[in-house]
Order: sequence, then structure tokens, then C-alpha cells
Amino acid sequence: MGKYEGDPVWDDVVPIPQDDGEGALAAIAYTDEYAEAMGYLRAVMAAKEYSPRVLDLTEHIISMNAAHYTVWLYRASTLLALNSSIPVELEWVNNVALDNQKNYQIWHHRQILIDHLYDSMSSDPAALKSLAESEVAFMTEMFNEDSKNYHVWSYRQWVVRKLDLFDKGEIECIETLLRQDVRNNSAWSHRFFVVFSNPKYCTPGSKATEYDPKIPGEILDREIEFAKAATFEAPQNQSPWNYLRGVLKKGGRKLSSLECFAGEFVKIPEVGEEDIKSSHALDFLADVWAQKGENEKADKALTLLGDKYDRIRKNYWDWRRTSLK
Amino acid sequence: MAVQELSLDVALHIKYWHRCLKNVLPTGYTSMDSSRMTLGFFILSALDLLGAGAETFPEDERANIKDWILKCQHPDGGFCGSPNHKYPDAAYVDVGHGKQTMDPANLPATYFAIMGLSFVGSLDGVRRDDCLRWIKGLQREDGSFGEFITQDGVIQGGTDMRISYAAMAIRWILKGDYDSSKEDGADIDVDQLVKYIRSGQTYDGGIGESSRHEAHAGYTYCAIASLKLANRLSKSKDSEPISGLTNVDSTIRWLVSRQTGYTTESDEEEEGDAEHAPAVKLQGIYTEEPAHEDEEFVGFNGRCNKRADTCYAFWVGAAINMLCQEKVELLDIPAIRRFLFEQTQHRIGGFGKCPGDPPDIYHSYLALAALATMKEPDLKPLDAALCVSIQQKEKIEQVRKAALV
Ligand SMILES: [Zn+2]
Repeated sequence: MGKYEGDPVWDDVVPIPQDDGEGALAAIAYTDEYAEAMGYLRAVMAAKEYSPRVLDLTEHIISMNAAHYTVWLYRASTLLALNSSIPVELEWVNNVALDNQKNYQIWHHRQILIDHLYDSMSSDPAALKSLAESEVAFMTEMFNEDSKNYHVWSYRQWVVRKLDLFDKGEIECIETLLRQDVRNNSAWSHRFFVVFSNPKYCTPGSKATEYDPKIPGEILDREIEFAKAATFEAPQNQSPWNYLRGVLKKGGRKLSSLECFAGEFVKIPEVGEEDIKSSHALDFLADVWAQKGENEKADKALTLLGDKYDRIRKNYWDWRRTSLK
Repeated sequence: MAVQELSLDVALHIKYWHRCLKNVLPTGYTSMDSSRMTLGFFILSALDLLGAGAETFPEDERANIKDWILKCQHPDGGFCGSPNHKYPDAAYVDVGHGKQTMDPANLPATYFAIMGLSFVGSLDGVRRDDCLRWIKGLQREDGSFGEFITQDGVIQGGTDMRISYAAMAIRWILKGDYDSSKEDGADIDVDQLVKYIRSGQTYDGGIGESSRHEAHAGYTYCAIASLKLANRLSKSKDSEPISGLTNVDSTIRWLVSRQTGYTTESDEEEEGDAEHAPAVKLQGIYTEEPAHEDEEFVGFNGRCNKRADTCYAFWVGAAINMLCQEKVELLDIPAIRRFLFEQTQHRIGGFGKCPGDPPDIYHSYLALAALATMKEPDLKPLDAALCVSIQQKEKIEQVRKAALV
């Protein structure tokens, strides 16, 4: 006898079993436990029942199939209908998230919970501050498992905007992660978002790839210095090179303003062997030189990339050479 | 290593996919129960690419599969992800403002269901107008799409490019790329979607969940393929209608950068060191040099500085294929083939995510799709945007034309 069938609490529910039929594609060897629980879930969803036992049932389903696309929403509706404790739910969600690193429904669920909490404390700065702290603390725990988890970073952006965390603390958090791993491109991306979407000085709605005249010069300088330091740390790390290009675009500055800096990694003497510390610096300089009309130098850089320093992209570098005019 | 001619063991892979088709999948797939339509599509399309498609099945088997997919069609339009999301017909009672939704249809599942039907029969069981109306209802004001809509009309699910892609693919199958939004109230707002996609470009040239997120090869593919299916990928001379990516050159740079050299030795190193690199200070010490050696294998990662993974050979290869068409080959195809054949292909057939991993349906399909995009001789050529064989795409076009006459 199944868990629910034998439980008097569920006596009044007639489960609605799945009808798979003959031509079933991708049939799965469900456990009896899963098949039974799904039958009961289908029954309560049809009856629109929002009750404490539904919370138990949805928890059970989620433990077996966290990617069920509607069970989360049904659970959220039940929680709100029952006026259940959001902090208790968050505690539970933390554990589920830690066990299901790849799942994204959890993070949507968490947004619903935080939205709800926020509304109840929006006039209490101290409560909001401690909410922000506990959210950041939990994300740090997630990042300890996988510091590049896309869903967590995505959620982090949402929290930054929701709780207005465009402050020094957020940038310090990113720097801590980059000190652990300077190649963490997720952290670089998040930094770009925090710095260039800050409502205190950015043009609202300015796209990531767009010049924003409102960005203060000292912020641009700070970001350029930060990225430069990272390239010295690991010249073959593409993240800060991409970041530099992004910052220059945002600031409306020319690539050539960093020609000298990129030249630190690239020595091409008139005679004798060249000395290249970073293929990304060479790529950067090829663009600088092409923009300045110094096509011969650009062509030489692209040739070195294709023939010697980045051979897996030879086709690409050759193609770039053909577009030099 | 000795140079040897690599070729696809077609019979071995057909065997793998037949097992997926006929056998019950292990309990471990339970977490994919809501995506059975997706798995079903992969199985049918893989067999098609291998030349052992549904036309070779007994007729009753095709009919049964067709019935199974159609049984997942939701009365309000669209399809559910699996029979576990679909109720017996009698359960959908009218609740005053339409039939009770209960567990609503899902947009990606609908794309896979319709594609699946195209393999085993015709699309005549798809309630076309309901489906198109339902999809229109899933579009948000900013142009993006949600995955499903609740009884109260709330659009739910993510906002990312994967969902937009599913919407555009279904629209292409059922309507073609003709932009009828002006005269036909049932069409989605293509202009708004194109704007949404164009605004998704990140500072490093790729496309993310939005422009504020980290660029990701899967989203980049979906964005480009959506534009392609809407016939809006190449820039038109006049400014109307808006077309193309914001900055194609930087997108191409980002895509080719996803190729990552892979040597078996450095992989072991990576396990220990790079993944848990020691704390370092940001100061002026050169710690590594660009590679001079030819890499034995070239894999693809989905984001900057991540490890190579089989599926990104498709997401990146197909995206570049759409952007560059036949004009130029930007990728190192021999090294990519070596990576797939010698590193992630499994001896029982199929492909795993990373070297040494057991095969799974998702990576096995995308590996075949990647190879087919790169014109693997033993596979049918692939249409990069629709992610099925060109032959299957042409078949769908014929079905659509016949239905519209
Ligand atoms: Zn993958």
C-alpha cells in the first residue's frame, strides 16, 4: 500500500493517475512512490485545494522532480493562501537549492517569497538591511559550491535591484570572489552590471553595449585600473580584457587610449623574435591599429595570432585579416 | 598521435537511439519527467539525422506516437510537457471564464511536441489557431515570452531567449516567416521581440538572459535563431523593419572565443588546481603564457573560462553557421570532430557531457546536431535555426503550404 493510500489524512482524495498510453515517448521507470504522489498532486491541483497537507505533498514531489514547472507555483499559491511563515519556507528552500544546483524554478520561487516579505517590511530599513544580509549570506554559501552558478547570479542581480544594493559592499563581495579566482567571468559580469547600472549615476535604460555620458570619469578610471591589475595577474585570462573593452565603450573612450598598456604584453621588434605575453593583448592591439589605419601592423598582429599564439582560432584570425582595408 | 580517418559509427548510434526509443528510461530521468516531450523530440530527430527516422517505423508505431503526443495537447491551446501534466478530457470543466486550466500548457514543450508530430505524421491534429492565440497571450509588453499562463491570465516562467526561440520556431512552423502582425490580430509582435533580442547583447559581445547577465552560448544561439526564423537576422538596407544583432562583429568574436583547447593532461591539472585556484593578489606577476602548441582537441565552453562541454559544440557551431552562412568557415572543425569522437563519444553509442561521462539523451542529440551542422558525411545536413535536418524542415514547409491552401 502506498504512502498516501494508507494515510487517513488523504482518505477523501481520489488520485488522478497518469495515462501514458501505448505510444509513450521517453517513458521513465517511475518509482511507485513518485507515481502515487503525482496522482495525488494532480487531484489536489484539479480541486484547487490550498491546505497544509498540500505543502507536504508538494515538498515530496519537489524532492523527486524539482523541475516540475507548475508544482512550485502551486506551492507558492498555497503558502500565500495559508499565510504561512515566509522565513520558515526560506529555510527549507535554502536546503533544496543546495541539493539542486541546476534547478532554476527554485530561484523564481524565492523571488515570490522575497517580494512578499519586502512588501511587509518596506517601511522598516533595519528589517530590509537584515534581509539583504541574509540573502547575501545564503548566496555566498551557494557560491562556495559553484561560484559560476548562472541561476544564483541571475537571482543576485534581481536582489541587487530589488533591495538597492548598488553599494560598496556589493563591489567588495565581487572582489573577494575575484581574489579567489580571477577567471570567474560570472563575477566580472556582475561587476559590470553593478557599476554600470547604478541608478545613482547611470542613464536609466542605457544598454550594456552603449556609451553612457553620465558615468563619472573617476568611476571609469577606477574600473580600468582594476581590470588592468587583473591582466597583469593572469595575462591569458580573457575576462578582464573583455571588461576593458566594455568599460571603454561605456565611457566613450577610444581603444587606443590603452595602446601603451596593451603594449606591455606585446613586444614586436623590427628584427628578431617577438615577445608575446598575452594573445588577448595582441588581439586588442590589432583592433587599435586597424582603427588607426595602421593596417600593416594590424595584419602582423593577426598573422602572429593565427600562426603562433592562438592557433585554434587560425581561421578566425585569417578572416579578420581579409577584412582589413 | 597517428592520423586516422575518423568516421561516425552510424549503426552503433542507431542502436543507442533505438534503446532510448524502445526501452523505459532509468529512474534517474524522473527529474526530467516534465520534459518528456523534449526527450521524445531528441529521440525522433536523432534517428532522422542518422537515416533511421520514423518513416522506417511500422505504421502502427508511428500512429501510437502521434496519439501520445496529441493526448498532451491542452484544451486552451499548446501542449503539456508530459502526460503527468495533462488531465483526462472530462476534467477540463468550464469555470465561467474558459475551461479550467489546472496544469497549463508549456511553451518549450509545445515546440517539441509539434516538431515530434512532424516526424510521425502530419500536423493536422494541432489546433493551429488556438495554439497561435495562446502563444500571443504569452508575449509580454517588453517583447519577451513566458513559459505558461495561469487561469487568471498571469504570464509565468522565465524571460530568457530560450522561450522566445520556442515561440518563434512554433510561429515559423505554423505560419512561416511572413510578418503578418500588421493585418492579423492573432500574430505576435515581431518588432517588439526583435527589439528585446537586440537589447540582450552583453558588453563582451555575447547574449545573456538579458544584457545585464553573463553572456551564455545557449542564449546566444536562441537569440540568433529567433531572428533567423523571423527572417530578421540580416540587416536590411532601410531601417524598417529593425533587423540583425546590435554588433555582429563582437558576437562573432565572442562565439569563436568559446573554442577551448583541450589536452588530456591539462584536464587532470584543471581538476586539481584551476577549479579551486588558491587565493591570489591582483599584482604584476605574469603567471602564464599563450599556447604555442597545436591543441590535440578543441572543445567548446558555454561561457568565458568554463570547461568544454559537448552541447556547446552545437550552440556555438550553429550560431556561427547562421551568422556566416556558407561564406567562411571560422571554426577548427577537424579538432572539434576529434574532441567529440575521441573524448565525449561513448563506446555504447551516444555522447556524454564531458570526457568520461556516460551518454545522455540531451548531449547525444546535440553532438549529432553539431556534427551535422559541420556537414558530417554520414548524417543528414542540419538546418541550424530549426535544429532538425534540412530535409525535415522542407517537409514541414510542404505541410504548412498544403494546410494554408
Ligand atoms: Zn552541456
